[in-house]
Amino acid sequence: MNDGWNIVVCVKQVPDADDVTIDPDTGTLNRSDAPAVLNKPDHNAVESALALRDAVGGTVTAITMGPPPASAVLQAAVAAGADGGVLLTDRAFGGSDTWPTSLALARAAEELDADVVICGEESTDSSTGQVPPGIAAHNGWAQLTYTESLDPRPDEGVLVGTRDVEGGYERVAAALPVVVAMVFGANDPRPAGLHRKIFAETEFEPVQWTAADLDIEDRVGLANSPTKVGGMDTASPVERERTRVDSVEALYDHLAEVL
Amino acid sequence: MSAASGPEIDVADYRDVWVFVEQHDGEAAPVSWELLAKGRELADETGESLVALVVGDGVAHLAEEAVARGADRALLADDPVFEPYRADPYGEQFRALVEARKPSIVLIGGTHTGRDFAGRVAVPAHAGLTADCTELAVDEAGLLLASRPTFGGSAMATIKCPAHRPQMATVRAGVFDAGEPAEAAENAAEAVESVDVVVAEEDTLSTVLERVVGGVVDITDADVIVAGGAGCEGDVTPLVELAEALGGEVAATRAAVEEGWVEPARQVGQTGKTVRPHLYIAAGISGAVQHLEGMNGSDVVVAVNTDPNAPIFEHADYGIVGDLHEVLPALTAMVREKREVAA
Repeated sequence: MNDGWNIVVCVKQVPDADDVTIDPDTGTLNRSDAPAVLNKPDHNAVESALALRDAVGGTVTAITMGPPPASAVLQAAVAAGADGGVLLTDRAFGGSDTWPTSLALARAAEELDADVVICGEESTDSSTGQVPPGIAAHNGWAQLTYTESLDPRPDEGVLVGTRDVEGGYERVAAALPVVVAMVFGANDPRPAGLHRKIFAETEFEPVQWTAADLDIEDRVGLANSPTKVGGMDTASPVERERTRVDSVEALYDHLAEVL
Repeated sequence: MSAASGPEIDVADYRDVWVFVEQHDGEAAPVSWELLAKGRELADETGESLVALVVGDGVAHLAEEAVARGADRALLADDPVFEPYRADPYGEQFRALVEARKPSIVLIGGTHTGRDFAGRVAVPAHAGLTADCTELAVDEAGLLLASRPTFGGSAMATIKCPAHRPQMATVRAGVFDAGEPAEAAENAAEAVESVDVVVAEEDTLSTVLERVVGGVVDITDADVIVAGGAGCEGDVTPLVELAEALGGEVAATRAAVEEGWVEPARQVGQTGKTVRPHLYIAAGISGAVQHLEGMNGSDVVVAVNTDPNAPIFEHADYGIVGDLHEVLPALTAMVREKREVAA
């Protein structure tokens, strides 16, 4: 453990949620020009990975799965301070739900000989939070989801995480390797340094792995995804009165009717 | 590792609706009983049994309560290794049970614990898992239709799992009614089956060093909610006083929670609680889709905002343009005054 820990941070490219709005009359979505960005909760994952490296030494490797343009989020992680990045890219990954996605990330983490894998709480476009425990389950590793802070104990070979649980918190010591999902907003991500940013944009090239490189070409993609989207309905907009009142008295009168 | 996805399964071998009864310190999470009531409906529709899965240490009483609440049977895995909750021993026990008994549908609460558990156990079972559902139904073939809001609540996606079993879903708390347990469940104990515990402490991967819980409010039961957003600007006293006058609870947007003005347990929205009170007063809340998703089921919505163009007004029954620091205290005074007159 003298060389520090191999820290892997999983990141995802998503449509910018802030640019997605709803038309109140039709209930339809205006997301036409939402640009692709790094999933917001992943900023907290990257920060945790860098802080962990500061504490115990070692390296931070960012990984993502997606088509080649997704390497932009690896670039963002490298700009923030990650040492390197791996892009899992292959047509075979297309249509993967959380089962094969977590398999691919789990195999990559294994290839990278990870001690700690850090993810964001969930993605803003799918919001399942299923991938971090999925990675842990595929590899038979410990998991710490909904983690607010990390306390590494390299001498004991454990990572202690403070988890947000219903009604309070708990501190859990997990044996390495361990998969962590950080609570969204758990920390203040550091800004990218100028030199690192220039390096990320001009020199950084991600390592690329295919499904065959990970020996999982028969286990990923749509065919190996248990869930299928059976239908998509526009949520019927809730009918509201939309009555404007111009005095607190008038507001009180309306409330008196409903209370 | 490199084996293919496992043998093709025959979905006809899988039967029954299971509900995972999440519990902490021997007390069931409210969502567990909500799911048991919904699971009863689904099992009646498919003509299958409803089975409660109770895991913990000294939790036989919960297995019996599950039967009193409508489960045909309860499976009880009772052992010190299961207290407090940890993903890996729970996951291993569940895997063994699924392999041996082949449930068709498994419902789990969409709490942090439930999502931690579901994400872990779906993998070895190669189960289909849908997160954060707000609607559940079965089609003519008995296939689970698990629906969830997507794109920030503007659409509902329905997820199916045609060729894998079990069909798993985590379900948001507060969406279904729990109902009441039957009074005299004399045969309850007979319907409880203790199962073999397959996990040993020395095989676990983690240790809970400390657990600090308790004293946290549950806003999902409140009839009246007074919620604040960025417009509170650090002062939530007007919310607290109005909530008190109306006998309700204070809630908040993610922004207000992240500022530290209101505790996280009171957060409403996509990453917080789903509430459906009789009256929801949104004060200083712009109306982001992520927040609307958590309160759109309220009977009556009132919006107070300084910005006349705030989207929240489009999603409110009654709106008033004004500073919550002036409007709410005036409203509070009126509520108090009328109450005194009435008394």
